[in-house]
Amino acid sequence: MSFLEFLAGRWTEILGLTLEHVVLVVISTVAGVLIAVPLGLAITRIPALGRPVLGFAGVIQTVPSLALFGLLIPLPLIGGIGSRTAIIALVLYALLPILRNTVTGVRQVDPAILDAANGMGMTDWQRLTLVEVPLALPSIFSGIRIATVVGVGLVTIAAAVGAGGLGSLIFRGLAMLDSRLLFAGAIPSAILALLADAGLAMLEARLVASRGAPTS
Amino acid sequence: MTGVAISFREVTKSFDEKLVLDRVSLDVSPGEVLVLLGRSGCGKTTLLRLVNRLVDADAGGVYVGGREVADWDPVELRRGIGYAIQGVGLLPHLSVGENVSLVPRLLGWNPDRRRERAAEMLRLVGLDPREHGGRRPDQLSGGQRQRVGVARALAADPQALLMDEPFGAVDPIGRRSLQEEFRSLSQELGKTVLFVTHDVTEAFRLADRIAVVADGGIRQVGTPGEIRDSPADALVRGLIEGAA
Repeated sequence: MSFLEFLAGRWTEILGLTLEHVVLVVISTVAGVLIAVPLGLAITRIPALGRPVLGFAGVIQTVPSLALFGLLIPLPLIGGIGSRTAIIALVLYALLPILRNTVTGVRQVDPAILDAANGMGMTDWQRLTLVEVPLALPSIFSGIRIATVVGVGLVTIAAAVGAGGLGSLIFRGLAMLDSRLLFAGAIPSAILALLADAGLAMLEARLVASRGAPTS
Repeated sequence: MTGVAISFREVTKSFDEKLVLDRVSLDVSPGEVLVLLGRSGCGKTTLLRLVNRLVDADAGGVYVGGREVADWDPVELRRGIGYAIQGVGLLPHLSVGENVSLVPRLLGWNPDRRRERAAEMLRLVGLDPREHGGRRPDQLSGGQRQRVGVARALAADPQALLMDEPFGAVDPIGRRSLQEEFRSLSQELGKTVLFVTHDVTEAFRLADRIAVVADGGIRQVGTPGEIRDSPADALVRGLIEGAA
């Protein structure tokens, strides 16, 4: 039986797992954005927050994903086997790139523009919403893009804690020494990562074009 | 609306222990263009920024229309004073028209009135609202951007204008025509203008009066003619002759 015939026989399963995979990535990235963007903006206003928050997110990033999943399992409420544990770990991983890019994006805004904004009589909130966030948007967006692409890869590992997704094919393939099964999980997952990257890149380009270049 | 008086009374300011302004007093009359002339680092920009409270004095007082700026809410104070700086500080993600109507927007004007005002201001500084109003700042030449900066500073009909080397980033020919237009514009509008420059020619071209600033103090205040004919000391003479 060829690999293609093998895929043809299992395509509904593969499609279902792909969908599961996408859902996990979307949920965790959206949650990551909702937490990290406001937190990043808060850091630009309260610099004392920067070190502990970015430090925490940085430490998480250094924990190998399999170990993080393992660490979360015994925890009450957030732990256990299943997609909930996986999502929590994935959100934690998404934090750092988005946080860092949000903070950098805002800090990179041309001081002359900020001076003009202040001199015109903007309140701090107006300066944030009318000037800093729009100008930081390309940077924030590329943080989201990184988090998403990394997330696609991480979700495959989340199958180890029973989260589902394409990783379950990979782990099954490994356990059964069946390379066809392994590739049936790995190839769609790789394609997914490439598609996510390209799609978000296109969205980013349109966003930048519609808002004008962020340079003077 | 005519201009408002601006006065500095014994103003002192230090940054990190370094004395930048040392008991400076200066009166700007309503409707006059007063140019603060001096080399970089002399304190002239700090003097300007005291007026709209981008900087607060350590001691002494700054008065706008007779009221001490420390008593104002900075945001409200700034909305009533036009501000234009070198490099202009146009918001690159907004159109030229939106940039010009920013302060009116902050003041809560409705969109129709804002658009109308932006068009009026662009025409005032010699730009065509239909041709330029919808563009992004980076699609304009340096000189056009400076014009937009002036239009933006004027948009909410402020009683005073603060300008910090607003024509600094333009080529000499473009600068000359900007200066001439600004001169006639300021005479026509009758606003009080405090204008910072290190360019002696620019100072003489624009000013009703010039205040020569050096080492954190004012060396001489007078009309361009007075400064030229009887410089107060060797430093003032050196500064203006250096340009000749």
